[in-house]
Amino acid sequence: MSHPPELRQQIEDLALQSILGETAGAGTPAPEKWLAALQNIGSLARGAGAAELADMAQATMESLLRAEPGSTEAAANLQAGIAKLQSWLENVDQPPAAKPESLSQDPELLSDFLLEAREHLASLEAQVLTIERDPRNSEALHSVFRSFHTLKGLAGFLELWEIQKLAHEVETVLDQARNFQLTITPAAIDVILESADYLRRWLSHLELILQNQPSSAPARDENLLQRVAGLLSAPPSPAASPGLAELASAVEAGGPAAPAAPPQEPTADSPKRAEKMAVKVDTAKLDYLVDMAGEMVIAETMVRHDPELARLTHPRLHRNLQQLTRITSELQKTAMAMRLVPVGPLFQRMARLVRDLSRQCGKSVELETEGNEIELDRTIVEELADPLMHMVRNSMDHGIEPPAERQGLEKPANARLLLKAHHQAGQVVIEITDDGRGLNREKIVAKAIEKGLIAAGDQLPDKEVYDLIFAPGFSTAAQVTNVSGRGVGMDVVRRGIEKLRGRIEIQTQLGRGTTFLLKLPLTLAIIDGLVVGVGKERYIVPLFAVREMFRPKDDTIWTVQQRGEMALVRGTLLPVLRLYRRFGVMPRSENPLESVVVVAEAGSQRFCLLVDELIGKQEVVIKSLGETFRDTTGVAGGAILGDGRVGLILDLERLFKDKTGDAAR
Amino acid sequence: MPAILTANEPVSVAADVRSGKYLTFQLGNEEFGIQVLKVREIMGIQEITAVPQTPGHVKGVINLRGKVVPVIDLRLKFGLPSAEYTQRTCIIVTQVPGESGLILIGVIVDGVSEVLNLAGSEIEDTPDFGEDVAAQYLLGMAKVKGKVKILLDIDKVLSAQDLRHLNTMLQ
Repeated sequence: MSHPPELRQQIEDLALQSILGETAGAGTPAPEKWLAALQNIGSLARGAGAAELADMAQATMESLLRAEPGSTEAAANLQAGIAKLQSWLENVDQPPAAKPESLSQDPELLSDFLLEAREHLASLEAQVLTIERDPRNSEALHSVFRSFHTLKGLAGFLELWEIQKLAHEVETVLDQARNFQLTITPAAIDVILESADYLRRWLSHLELILQNQPSSAPARDENLLQRVAGLLSAPPSPAASPGLAELASAVEAGGPAAPAAPPQEPTADSPKRAEKMAVKVDTAKLDYLVDMAGEMVIAETMVRHDPELARLTHPRLHRNLQQLTRITSELQKTAMAMRLVPVGPLFQRMARLVRDLSRQCGKSVELETEGNEIELDRTIVEELADPLMHMVRNSMDHGIEPPAERQGLEKPANARLLLKAHHQAGQVVIEITDDGRGLNREKIVAKAIEKGLIAAGDQLPDKEVYDLIFAPGFSTAAQVTNVSGRGVGMDVVRRGIEKLRGRIEIQTQLGRGTTFLLKLPLTLAIIDGLVVGVGKERYIVPLFAVREMFRPKDDTIWTVQQRGEMALVRGTLLPVLRLYRRFGVMPRSENPLESVVVVAEAGSQRFCLLVDELIGKQEVVIKSLGETFRDTTGVAGGAILGDGRVGLILDLERLFKDKTGDAAR
Repeated sequence: MPAILTANEPVSVAADVRSGKYLTFQLGNEEFGIQVLKVREIMGIQEITAVPQTPGHVKGVINLRGKVVPVIDLRLKFGLPSAEYTQRTCIIVTQVPGESGLILIGVIVDGVSEVLNLAGSEIEDTPDFGEDVAAQYLLGMAKVKGKVKILLDIDKVLSAQDLRHLNTMLQ
């Protein structure tokens, strides 16, 4: 779509005028000027056939007319409208991405297909693993057949021939299987799973193409196709029950024995397919809605705290305001709830990994899951996938012993890996537990000394020793061929969890096993905060961590040799952190008697924060401070306070841990 | 503004790409310019919330209509002595590429001058200051009405770690 250069000129002039207009500090100049300019742009656009652009100009004009002239709302509307016009310009100028595939179908169809296809692949994988454990499960067999059948159909419709071809071949195998014309051997399971992997690679490639990113299509895997075809030519076995036949052919082929144990029980919590009515919503729209709900909370808070409003005393106004506050809060919560998804599917993905790894490592591991229905923010679940996989891999590589060793220790031959999710104190806790070797304190210490992380004579409590495995460079021996293609140390895992404002804890017993606990916030976006003041600054203490608050007396605070300041809180001595010292801020008073103590608990430790005053309670929308402040410790993010200022949200665990790092400023 | 070249245009690509509108502002005795397309908003200096453990030139964050935006002091970033904020002091909110997408960063400047429409011919390449790599942060120099404006590549400036020596280069 071409456009006359004057159109671009007009839009840019308008943008400039608006920027300069604000600088002049005279407030927004008379709206007539803007309206005239927008009108002009609109007609130019329509003349050039750029209807979309014309509509945008129209919409901006209307929003200006609706707002009070000279108000900040008007200014904001104007800016937003101009920004839209500008970005339209930029988009139009970009040459259309050269698509190597000539996809005759429109992108929306393709993205729908990708979504659906991924769901089918996830579901069929789970069912294939079920078949592997329980070869007599005909329901699962039918389900896998249907999945490939559907994939074949969809791919054909979109002219994705390679996908269609493979899906068709596998579908044929499964058709024969469900008609008892062939048996699903362990080798067959492998082939089917590999086919699913191949299809996934295709989906990833197509996704990149949709995003206009370079990507090369997966080459046709002739070997795989042959192996699929090879399954077909297996001699038809008598119509005996599939279980026996499978054992028979396994004995014949001398292949790896089917799991020696009786068919495993299904995972502790099979995902129930509750038939709820649901709609598919574009996640971009959903995110936008959640953002707007957040903005609304901020705006509503600022209105509520406006000193002008406090002067108005009519009860009706305040009643309505309360109503507004209530509704805003409800809306916020509802919007946030829409972002929550259950962890079940994430745990299911681990099932495949566990299966593959147990083959590769020659270990027998049973995966159990609990709490599949526990919900977490969508983004958190997505970001958890990698760390979770690393930990499962670690567990299986190093934690769990080979069957022979386990027998020698009189442990059950089948090792147990448990993935469990549950709520605890305003957080979601995800546990990864194995009944393997447990962490060997001595070995860790030896390795740490070798790497120069600690000195030979250091006496460290257990907790700190186990923490060493998270040190960068502490990677254990080279990982076995990994399924996902990535493999790094636990430090990457921890950083991933901390990015989500979560924590990792370790519980372990030598010889018995290890549990990793991932403690994660329920949502990334909102917390109840206690606003405190230190000098001119405002900080927010997450309310769920606050235990009590009080004004110290003469005998409350003591300085203990080599331990620093401590406070006597109902008979217990707790460490004291003077916030002003930590952040290098000028307090109103350094005298504890004129300050307030906030007792907070983080990471199962309690400590006291010394602040100037308590400002109040506020529900705040957490704003990430961004990459600029990546190195700042002790601050988890920022929030807009009622008076429009920015308050810094405290990261209590970090604060307490780095107690010794007082600010130099 | 991507330049569309045809075979008949021998104009140097670099100059063409740099032409366009620039917002000029002052820092100390120098006048600088950044491309208008990078400017999202200009506002007078306002209250900044300090964030601990940041380099000196990172002043903190501000509330920009509900968004938390970091603000840096460009004087300090360039190694100039800090100055008291006056009525003229402004925050220019720029939009630059971050690690994953565009981010907003505010820069504090002594004062904002005007918007200049610079043609390619008015922009000269940065003179060779020798070993100093700081020149890569400049798009070029423009001479307008007898005054020299130093055109900054704001993307690079804001992603560079240490530009304090830029000051010595400029003197």
